[in-house]
Amino acid sequence: MNKFLGILILSSLFLSCSSDLDFDQINQLKLEPVVVLNLATFDVPANEFVIGGIEQNVAGDVVNFDVFRDTYFTDSLKRADFFFEINNTINRAYRINLYLLDANNSPLYTIPIDVPAYTGVQNLVTKTEIFENAKLDLLKKTMKIGFVITMYPGPALSESSLGSLKLRSSATVYFIVE
Amino acid sequence: MRKILLLFILTVSITCFSQNKQILYNFTSVPQSLLTNPGSDVKYNWFIGIPLLSGFSANVSSSGFSAFDLFANDGVDFNAKLRNVVFSTSRNDKVSINEQLEIFNGGLKLGDWQEGAYLSFGLYQELDFFSYMPKDYAIIALDGNRDYLGKVFDIGDLSAKGELISVFHIGYHKNLTEKLILGARGKIYSSIFNFSSTKNSGYFYTIPGTNSIYEQVISANALVNTSGFTNYLDNYSGNVKSDIMKKTLFGGNLGLGFDLGLTYYPQENIQFTASILDVGFIKHTKEVKSYAYKGYFKNEGLTPDFIPGNSNGNVFQEFIDAIPLDTLNTKYTTWRPVKFNSSIQYSFGDGRDSDCNCLENEMKFKNSVGAQLFVMSTPRTPLMALTAYYRRKFFDALEMKATYTIDSFSAKNIGLGLSTTIGKINFYVLADNLLEYRDISKANSLSFQLGFNIIFPDKNTPD
Repeated sequence: MNKFLGILILSSLFLSCSSDLDFDQINQLKLEPVVVLNLATFDVPANEFVIGGIEQNVAGDVVNFDVFRDTYFTDSLKRADFFFEINNTINRAYRINLYLLDANNSPLYTIPIDVPAYTGVQNLVTKTEIFENAKLDLLKKTMKIGFVITMYPGPALSESSLGSLKLRSSATVYFIVE
Repeated sequence: MRKILLLFILTVSITCFSQNKQILYNFTSVPQSLLTNPGSDVKYNWFIGIPLLSGFSANVSSSGFSAFDLFANDGVDFNAKLRNVVFSTSRNDKVSINEQLEIFNGGLKLGDWQEGAYLSFGLYQELDFFSYMPKDYAIIALDGNRDYLGKVFDIGDLSAKGELISVFHIGYHKNLTEKLILGARGKIYSSIFNFSSTKNSGYFYTIPGTNSIYEQVISANALVNTSGFTNYLDNYSGNVKSDIMKKTLFGGNLGLGFDLGLTYYPQENIQFTASILDVGFIKHTKEVKSYAYKGYFKNEGLTPDFIPGNSNGNVFQEFIDAIPLDTLNTKYTTWRPVKFNSSIQYSFGDGRDSDCNCLENEMKFKNSVGAQLFVMSTPRTPLMALTAYYRRKFFDALEMKATYTIDSFSAKNIGLGLSTTIGKINFYVLADNLLEYRDISKANSLSFQLGFNIIFPDKNTPD
């Protein structure tokens, strides 16, 4: 009797069931993270537009933007939204141009932003550029970004003029990793 | 033969699957119980494990999710299941895999029948993997940071370690008095491969900013140590099998450790035991490679400077310079997970057979009930398990131990162990989480253990 019981218990140890599992599902893995980050910031005081008493109507800088060197990053990038917000507290109007430049400094795409003169009331100018498909391909070739500020005519500025031209900008980047 | 042995070691090394051996612990009719307490009250004249078949154990545990949750063939999109798993687990959920294979094992009684001193020794191979749920990393990978403004992502969420080692051990135990048995075991570890990344810290957050759209900061102090892999990263012309064989036989990164244990009978039918296992370290000096990410970076984006002649460099280069990936070749030391076991047992019922003239405590009683405590160190809070058990000798050749265990993986873990000794051949099989066998794919934890030994019973009488 005991022996029989023992065998019964022993054999029951080897009985088990399992639901149907499919480990190949791992191939369906698709990650779609959306990342936000600061794209650019500047804050140019009014007096920087005056050098030696003379107004400078154009100011610019070119900065490296070689993030697309990384092919894994570039391949999984599906869309990028650039958001700009300008707060102008100088009583002059501006045009800000962002030039996306390739390795040879040739412009691929231009983002123009017109900013009206300050009238004593805060006036936030915002703009969103969405890069998808062909436009995204241009972005992916970008190696540098040129920032050019053009000041429109208006009341004269001096080295003691108040206010500033302030830009805040972010990117919302959509990835698909499969 | 060598090939078969190698193949077997490799298969086991690859196919496997906590380390609580609640059924084996103090189940003294199985000689392998000496490995869970060097002071076990065993009664053999001598025993020898059948090489490679004497002991095999595997244990897979996962708190928080099961294989079914991720891989059920139910038509639900895998990514939806993955999201469910990630968002229903916490950073303290863990996955633990442990496998042990005895290559050889034996023991013998020293001195005459009265002395009660035993020597036991052996070599086993052990695979360990332990990881906490890297939750914040998973959230970033699944969702990015857009919907998590204000959340501080914890870089310390990555905490994982794994290793394949061989352990040569030699243990000695002695009945100091009729009531007290003390035992100790020395161990030499040879690490075949190891990776460990358990002391990471740092954070990453994005919150609405003032001067820039976001205030975005990453501060990282992360380190991944590895040993035993470097030969295989570049052009490798050797033989992996012979490498593993060589490292199994003390050719790896070496370490030392010990186990201590005792069994005490305050009364004839009351038994107390305790053991501490794997107090030891491994020094990794060969084939070492470490990867460190350390630094602080505040991302303000591109910051053009419109003063003629000035220009601001490259924000991405600045980031790479601020938090560089350093590859190091420095030695490091890992500590083995320390395990503590303790039990108290009450025995009853006359177990003496007519043909048994044994006088020792163990054999006198047919039934025992008891409770066990298991604690194991981990990179964060220790793992704990409480077990209640019932042992019974059915007849001379069959002994059973049934356990009920509560731990962080399961609150209803029923286990059963059977040990039969027919002639001089001892066979044992132990398995836990029996309720989960109804559908093992839904189990959070499973372990089993089996093996064959040859045992020459103790006579306890003068020849």
